[in-house]
Amino acid sequence: MKPLDRVRTLRRDADLEREEVERILARERARFMTTIEAAARRELGARHVAQRIIPQLPYHDVPAARDFLERVFGFTERHGARVVDTKTGELVHTAVELHGAEVMLGGHGGHGASSPKSGGVISQVLTVYVDDVDAHHARARAEGARVVEGLADKFFGDRTYEVLDLEGHRWRFHQRMRDVPPEELRWSSEDDG
Amino acid sequence: MSPASDADVIGRSLVDPQAFGAIFDRHAEAMLRYTARRAGREVAEGLIGELFRIAFERRKSYDSSYPSARPWLYGIAANLLQRHRRAEARRLRATARLAAERPARDKRRATSAADAQLLLPALVEAIEALPQGEREALLLYAWEELPYEAIASALNVPVGTVRSRLNRARARLRELDPSDRRTSSRSSQPGSARRRP
Repeated sequence: MKPLDRVRTLRRDADLEREEVERILARERARFMTTIEAAARRELGARHVAQRIIPQLPYHDVPAARDFLERVFGFTERHGARVVDTKTGELVHTAVELHGAEVMLGGHGGHGASSPKSGGVISQVLTVYVDDVDAHHARARAEGARVVEGLADKFFGDRTYEVLDLEGHRWRFHQRMRDVPPEELRWSSEDDG
Repeated sequence: MSPASDADVIGRSLVDPQAFGAIFDRHAEAMLRYTARRAGREVAEGLIGELFRIAFERRKSYDSSYPSARPWLYGIAANLLQRHRRAEARRLRATARLAAERPARDKRRATSAADAQLLLPALVEAIEALPQGEREALLLYAWEELPYEAIASALNVPVGTVRSRLNRARARLRELDPSDRRTSSRSSQPGSARRRP
């Protein structure tokens, strides 16, 4: 007998019984379908949003805010994010992104949130990492934005500046300059930063 | 209308993940039988879900120029089986024991089986001792009846490599047969197959 024929004769004895095959496949199929259904839900979610936490800023004038953020800070409006009031035709909601990170823009008063323009209070600071903070700062100044804290190198390793947008929301633009070990991250209220 | 190829189904599963269920339905039995032949029922039972999960996760990188997914799945199975060398050795020996009992049950084959029966322990020892790549190629060819091209794509090697692996495996197994020893150019010391690189 040829060597491969000998190996072939073993095949029958290595085989599983039909009932066993059917039992195992029925169970494994059900498990597998559960697995891919869960994956389908995850993928649908991931296709819809890349970012799981998205800030939403309230503005009296959403289109003007979008234009300002595009022109002064270099954001671009996200495709498919616009919501228009069917009665008035006004843009009531949209989103802008920078390097794939997104911020939503909504109407003043919506979801109980107020624009600093009428609220008079800033309740949050948005931190945005850019690749060249000096260039970003120069552009914002050239566009007439109100810089409230000038460019400086900070103890935590970033170079930053702070600026208000058209309705007074406060933005802080950062560039990473160096890595700082956690044990060196000490701050006191007298420090600048 | 001809049924959609595996490549079509996998393509569709990129937007509709549940479509991948068809890949399980088409190939799970072959994969279960293959992994069970190689490593036994218990290992196969644990492996089959993992095999299809890995395939599902890698579906984006499936080469759609291959209409059938089966060689690709055999390749994933072969990788998973590498972690089960001991189960594989146990399965081979159990298979040989079953085969040795068979002539008693199957009278027509009794005469020709007599000498095969004597060779069985040596045969499984030799299969076990084959280098991994040769054993994969041998069993995909002799048990799964895959053509050379499919073995090559399963093991991700050129067809020429499959051919040479099968030739080497054949030569090693031929040494077991006393009637062929004269024509063998290799050493015929008992157990020599095990010591080969």
